[in-house]
This record gives sequence, structure tokens and C-alpha cells, in this order.
Amino acid sequence: MARLDDIPEPTRTAVRDIPCPAFDTTPFVSGPALSERRVAIVSSAALIQRGDKPFDFGSGEYRAVPGGWDNADILMSHVSTNFDRAGFQRDINVAYPIDRLRELAAEGVIGSVAETHFTVMGSTDPAAMLASADGIAAALKADNVNAAVLCPV
Amino acid sequence: MAHMLEERGIATTVLALALPQVEKTRPPRAVMTPFMLGRPLGEPNDAAFQRRVLLQALNLLERTDGPIILAHFEDDNPSWFDRLDWVPAVSLPTPGSYESAAAWEAALRAEMALVLPVWERFKTRFNRTTVGLAGQPPQDWPAFATSFLDGALPTVPLHDTPALALRFLADDLKALYGEAVQADGAPPSARQIDWWFWRQTVAGQLLIALRSAAMVSENNALKTVGGRFFVPVPFLPV
Repeated sequence: MARLDDIPEPTRTAVRDIPCPAFDTTPFVSGPALSERRVAIVSSAALIQRGDKPFDFGSGEYRAVPGGWDNADILMSHVSTNFDRAGFQRDINVAYPIDRLRELAAEGVIGSVAETHFTVMGSTDPAAMLASADGIAAALKADNVNAAVLCPV
Repeated sequence: MAHMLEERGIATTVLALALPQVEKTRPPRAVMTPFMLGRPLGEPNDAAFQRRVLLQALNLLERTDGPIILAHFEDDNPSWFDRLDWVPAVSLPTPGSYESAAAWEAALRAEMALVLPVWERFKTRFNRTTVGLAGQPPQDWPAFATSFLDGALPTVPLHDTPALALRFLADDLKALYGEAVQADGAPPSARQIDWWFWRQTVAGQLLIALRSAAMVSENNALKTVGGRFFVPVPFLPV
């Protein structure tokens, strides 16, 4: 059961009916074993560092989340009355699992954690994000990343 | 986004909260979870639980029977359920009704004087705060926010318009109270925090009043922001 069902109307229908692109084919990139993967997080939480300007609503931009940022200074600027905030308030990993990835890398379950992660604004028309996809993919390749875990909020 | 990154050569796996979107977009790999929007890993401060969720998604990268590998994470996160023995970390008098912006300001200021020390306790315990979008310190919020009730349209340097300044102040106000009320003990459910905030605090009642003021404002941006971002639908006045 998806918790979308618990969102009151009319918002539930609006969320359910957000235009989603239809794809004729699904690309599928293969790669090495998990223990050889360099993994990045891509978050739709519009993460910013404290003091930065929040994302504009509906913005198709992307921003980098450097691994060196202190977790305590990372804020979520995609906020909605339909989201739970309480979990993120207690623990950044509930939306941005950076500590979990680092633990898995330290144990050798994954190969390594990317130097830089990326974030966009959720509830944005995918057509507005093509340039961002170009930018994120190029940056991930430059960092030798070969797996992205997408964490939409 | 999964499609777009994969087309550009990056393998992806998705922690998916909104089932209909997954069915429509059919990403190459996704784990569908039952969690609330806003928390794709499910449970805060539970590394073992988060690890199970994350590993299920990562393990899909090793499968070769795609494209379109969809898995389900079946377990509810523990704090999905109301915690019957939960006690709010801050105890507040019942909000009254306030006729003027000055009365609202005084009431919020008095309430925040009780909330702020408990919020400090939260920050010490969790070594973090998500408050910080408003672009002004909490002590400035009561006067700034309540001035909108009198039709003023102030802003702050961080934000381009009064509507955005008030929107992010509203988010910070909710965050500060949400953190303070969680300062002690195990996590309550999100519903428990919402009911406390929207039914038992001056801050919640003020946001409902600000929404009403925004909805009749001639400033269209404020009208839009007030209607969409201040008050969740279940707590709108009937």
C-alpha cells in the first residue's frame, strides 16, 4: 500500500495525475558487481546548504551536494504540506542516505561513494529537466560513478 | 529522471514512494516502498532498517533480467503507527482567539518563549536542525509574520518576494515546532505531530489565519503560496 493513498483529496488526485512521460523503450545499463560500483545519490528534495537560496518551485535546475558538506547544514528546500518532515528532522538519512552508503563502502558491500551527489526539485515537469540530466550524467561520469540511487521524496 | 540518466549511460535504481508514477514511467529498476512521502528510507535513526531498504535497491543493480525490474519492500516503518504512550516534549496552554495582529504577535511570542528552550534540547540531542529557510532568526518571526495580517508585504534579503519570505518562514515555524515536540523519547508518528501542531499551538492557528489573509490578498503570489503551502488539507477550517 502506497501512502499516497493517505493524502487527502484533491491533492491525491493531483499527485497521482502529475504528467509522467511515457517511454516506448526502457534503457538498461549493465555494470560490474555491486562491490565494484561507485555510487551516487540523486535526491528530489532540493537539498541546499544552510544559507543558500532555496530552489524555486517548479525549477528544472540541478545542484551539487558535495560529500564534504556537514549533514547538520543540509536543508530540504522542497517542502510541501503533503510531505512528512518529522523523519528528516531527526535523521538526514531518511531522505538522503549518505551515512548508510558510507557504511556499505567501508564494509566493501559497494565499491565506493561518489565525491559529489546531486539534487533537483521534485514535482517538476521532466521535460524541464533534460539539461539537468545532461549535467548530472556528465558530472557522474567525470567522477567515475557507475550507479545512481534515486531518492525521490 | 531514471530514464534520462540511464539513457546517458548511468545505471540507476529508485526508492519509489508513489506507486502510480512508477507504473506510468516504468523505470529500469525500482523498489516500491509503503512509506510516507518525504521519507524514502522509512525510519529515522534506524540504521538497520534503512540499510535493508537501501540494499534491496542496490542489489537490483546486479540483476541482468531487465529492463524494468520492480521489487516491493513490504514492511511498514515502525513510526508509521501512532505511539500510544507518546507525550509531547513541550507542554503549551490551549490557544485562544486573537482579534488583532498585535494580539497574535504577543501570543506567538509568548508561546515561542516556551518552545525555544525545548528546541535547543532537540538540536543538542540530534546534532541538527532543519530550521534555516526563513532567512531570519526565530525571534524576528512573530512581528514579521503577523504584519501580513495587517496587509503589510515585508521581505528579507534571502528571498525575492514577500510571498516567498512568508512561505519559508511558515516552513521554518513548522520545522521548529516539529523538532521541539520530538526533543525527547522515541519518534511519534507524523500524524501525532500534525495533530499537536495544528490543534494545540498558537503557531498552527496563526498559519491558518495567515492562509485566510493570503487568500484575500491582492498580491497574487501571496494568494497562491498561502493557498498551497501553509496548511495541509485535513486541517483547513471548515
